[in-house]
Amino acid sequence: MIKRIFDWLKQPLGLIAVGIAFLALFSVAAYGLYTTQQAPAQPIQFPHQTHVAFGIQCLYCHPNAAKGPTAGIPAQAKCWACHQQIAKTQTSVLLAPLKDAVLSGTPIEWVPVAIVPDFVQFNHRAHIAAGKNCEECHGDMSKVTIAQNPQVMNMGWCLDCHVKNAGEDHVKLVKLTDCGTCHY
Amino acid sequence: MIRPEEIKLSSEENGKWGMVIDQDICTGCQACVAACAMENNISFVGEEDSGYGRAMHWIRIERFWEGEYPEVKMTPRQPMLCQQCGHATCEPVCPAFATVHSQAEQLNLQVYNRCVGTRYCANNCPYQVRAFNWRDYQRPEPLSNQLNPDVTVRRMGVMEKCTFCIQRIHKAQDQAKAEGREVQDGEFTTACAQACPASAIVFGRVDNPESLVSQLAHKGHGVKHLEELGTLPNVTYFKGG
Amino acid sequence: MSEQFSRRDFLKLAGVGAATTAILTGCGPASRYVKREPYMQMPEYNYNGQSTYYATTCRECAAGCGLIVRTMQGRALKTEGNANNPLNLGKTCARGQATLHGLYNPDRVTDPVKRTRGSASTTAVDWDAATQVVADALKNNKPEEIAFLMGMAPDHLFDLVTDLANTTGINAPVRFGALGMFESRATLSKAAENLFGEARMPFFDVGGAEVVLSFGANFLETWISPVSYTRGFVGLREAKTKLRGKFIQLEARMSSTAGKADEWLPIRPGTEALVALAIGRLASELRGGPMPRAFSSVDPLDAASKSGIKLEMLEHIAELFSGSHVALAIPGGSALGQSNGLTVAEAVLALNAVADNFGKPGGVYFSPLAPNQTAYQSPASAKEMQDFIQKMADGKFKVLFVHGVNPIFELPASLDFKGALKGVEQVISFATFPDETALESDYVFPDHHGLESWGYQRVITGSNQSVLSGSQPVVSPFYNTRATVDVLVTAAQLAGGAFATALPFKDEVEFLQSKVAPLMSEADGFFSAADLNTFMASFQQYGGWWKLSDGRGVPGTADVLNRNMDGAEAEFAGEGEFFLVPFVSPTLAEAGANKPWLQELPDPTTTVMWNTWVEMNPETAHELGLEDDDVVRITSEAGVLEVPVYRYPAIRPDTIAIPYGQGHTAYGRYAEKRGVNPTDLLVQHFNEAGDLAFAGVKVKIEKTRQEAASFPP
Repeated sequence: MIKRIFDWLKQPLGLIAVGIAFLALFSVAAYGLYTTQQAPAQPIQFPHQTHVAFGIQCLYCHPNAAKGPTAGIPAQAKCWACHQQIAKTQTSVLLAPLKDAVLSGTPIEWVPVAIVPDFVQFNHRAHIAAGKNCEECHGDMSKVTIAQNPQVMNMGWCLDCHVKNAGEDHVKLVKLTDCGTCHY
Repeated sequence: MIRPEEIKLSSEENGKWGMVIDQDICTGCQACVAACAMENNISFVGEEDSGYGRAMHWIRIERFWEGEYPEVKMTPRQPMLCQQCGHATCEPVCPAFATVHSQAEQLNLQVYNRCVGTRYCANNCPYQVRAFNWRDYQRPEPLSNQLNPDVTVRRMGVMEKCTFCIQRIHKAQDQAKAEGREVQDGEFTTACAQACPASAIVFGRVDNPESLVSQLAHKGHGVKHLEELGTLPNVTYFKGG
Repeated sequence: MSEQFSRRDFLKLAGVGAATTAILTGCGPASRYVKREPYMQMPEYNYNGQSTYYATTCRECAAGCGLIVRTMQGRALKTEGNANNPLNLGKTCARGQATLHGLYNPDRVTDPVKRTRGSASTTAVDWDAATQVVADALKNNKPEEIAFLMGMAPDHLFDLVTDLANTTGINAPVRFGALGMFESRATLSKAAENLFGEARMPFFDVGGAEVVLSFGANFLETWISPVSYTRGFVGLREAKTKLRGKFIQLEARMSSTAGKADEWLPIRPGTEALVALAIGRLASELRGGPMPRAFSSVDPLDAASKSGIKLEMLEHIAELFSGSHVALAIPGGSALGQSNGLTVAEAVLALNAVADNFGKPGGVYFSPLAPNQTAYQSPASAKEMQDFIQKMADGKFKVLFVHGVNPIFELPASLDFKGALKGVEQVISFATFPDETALESDYVFPDHHGLESWGYQRVITGSNQSVLSGSQPVVSPFYNTRATVDVLVTAAQLAGGAFATALPFKDEVEFLQSKVAPLMSEADGFFSAADLNTFMASFQQYGGWWKLSDGRGVPGTADVLNRNMDGAEAEFAGEGEFFLVPFVSPTLAEAGANKPWLQELPDPTTTVMWNTWVEMNPETAHELGLEDDDVVRITSEAGVLEVPVYRYPAIRPDTIAIPYGQGHTAYGRYAEKRGVNPTDLLVQHFNEAGDLAFAGVKVKIEKTRQEAASFPP
């Protein structure tokens, strides 16, 4: 049986079939890979640029960035504090999910954009304290609707900045390049 | 430009973080073992894997027998955990550089995302304190609600061991830095030391002569296990009496 | 599809394709995309990613240690001791650490249910119906037909039911727990009553002593208040102001506690009273003066030969007791679980009279009474449980409420609690976990887990101060459970009449405040406040209320030594050639078997995990042709068990020991069908105070052909 398949595959028609099968398989795999790289749909097409244009500071909605490890997604009560005073909230189709969530008391499920793997222990506080601005890592929010990562957040990117920041300070360099600073 | 690994800060001989364990008052109650498991997201492995010696205790209480009935004696209980050696035998054998020495904290690190599971480090550890994830151990829901978000949850094929609760070290350092001061002695401690009903475990800076742990460590009758191997362990034991 | 290419081959090829796709895509970094649910309304003082800490009380045993629980975003992450609480001063035992495995246990009772007794299938009822069921049970039965059986902790629920009983005439709540049975608590307080005229829990100041002589008290494991007694042990050992203390333990099997002793004396079970009196006599002789009546009839040489302890050793101990040392003798554990347990307790307490240590540092005190307590309340003895069970079997109770205790597992099978349940028309359980008793109940109305509950608990012993440990919910209830106090308060209102007037409360918190409010006017508190809200806020913040002064009482010593004491040996039930010593597992205790990490803690003496074993002297095992892991059949008058052997070098050759804690038939996936329960071997054999003579049983051993499943095989 197996031998007959090989014989059949060796003839020109068979080779073409193998080629087509390989291409089909490859495209399915590539498509699968592509889909996993796509962030799931956000519940609300949150317009960062609009909020920034109104002059709202990053830390107004993400205050814990300066206090602790995670910046956090604001509670919907915080959104509602402003939005319930805005007439458009009542009519806008785009804002309907917020209105529904608040009125029905169900949480909104956001998809975080800037995330690191579980084995990285990232701390926002230390970075803000070191004088970093939000946009240095997260990009210019006045230009995007849903937040996007301006760069791939991988270890090389972290370390490049850490080494640059340490400069000639040896103590700092050791601390900032120690595996145990981020991985535990 | 100088490379980080060429810089020597606090010396490996002196260490930085250390522990003193008083075996005379250790009652072997296992509170430290439980506290460690709860703090560090250690998986329980179940009856069968425990029988194969795969239980993943980062700290265990050793007890040995001396003599024969009726003059039989239990030796002083000996809590055994990673000794955070200055010259660790686990480090040079790791082909993936997952078992590395932290210059900043003077600890033996286990970098989970680098570990490929060769288990050379465990074979080379004279204290036998390393634990390997032989499977992806299950935590039926909702047990995972208890997981400590400050500690990575390990998966199959990864080596793990006591970290001296490095997440607590970082938290205390971060807190102190935010308040613009140094970390105080006794401000925080490891999970095992915090739980120990006998306060038999004392943790702190051994490179600070003022700290409780270094005063105890230099009391004279302390013993460092397998010191003759040149491992420069950072845990001092008091045998008793 | 060509005829050479079968369907099977196609499936294989498709499988390979699918696997390739999975491998290629599964490694993608974006497979990590997650969804996050932020708070709808951020609680006050909370920040994302920052922990909040709550003070509460540990409910894993009845000691009442204070806890600080770390929580984040509504989840409990870690328990630590409450450093303010004078009982445990920031420390916990292993069981306290593992309490989160109870809170997030996958096998909790999630909803109120109705069931046919013994059947696994249940029908859900809603809480309104459940409350109505309780109200009907209260209203439609005569008061004397209503009984409450509760756990050992003297907590706010016990006070509520006691109040209910006092006003409505229902039976007073009965408290029972296996730990109390193995500690012979009723014997301890009865001995105190006989000797000192007050039935109170004695407190042994181990920390202040220089010589401690313990007759079986396993105070470093589970005994009454192990965390605080461990602190005492550290005081004994640490040579700060005095000599490094000496510790001698007499018991047939070396417990984990005896493993820390300087001398372990393998005493023959049943001769403890004789030995205590002999030591008393020798010490009195050394001290000179007239021989006290208590010791006048005992012959030390006879005691030495019967107990298997050398006379020189008895003389040595007597010397320590009569000398300038601060000496302390503690009765406990298996020494009291004999037919003459009360005599043992009295004889050992009398030894303290020789050392003249009553009310002195390093001596015997009365434990302080808790802030809102007027008298010590001993949990029910096994004899009292026997009467209770008889009433159940006789149909005297129409409805039985069970809370915080699992009597089918905790009581010896020979008392037949399960059989007696048939005499009770309606059994309502408030169990948090699906334990054996909940399985035999008509209704299970689950209470919250301890970390989800309000409450307080009186501290029985362990601290110099008078302590009331407070509880508050550290997380919102995870399941559709309801506080039993809330259920009872609502049901009492529905039932009307005397019930409604007995519990005129809106909810649990209002009841709690009514009980705690009188403390506001008491002086000498850790904190005080002018109004109730401020007081309750501090009560929650600090995890309870306690007095600052030393509240220990001094036992009256008038004629402790001026009594006749009988050194007769204990009587044993059964004909076997081995003494059986059941002991409480130091890691599991009575309710830890459903917590996987407690199962995986090695036993401190044998290092066994996840199972039950029988300890046997290697010599005995050799004579019987037994190796480790060989299964033996152990037979007593009450039952038969098959257990694997563990050859234990520190046990008398004529004694075997089995840990208590495993052998569940219900109670969740980690506890079920694992090990055996040694209480199955215990017969109805009691001491003079009514406590079970659990160490007063003799058993036969037979080899079986089996070998326990051992790994590696």
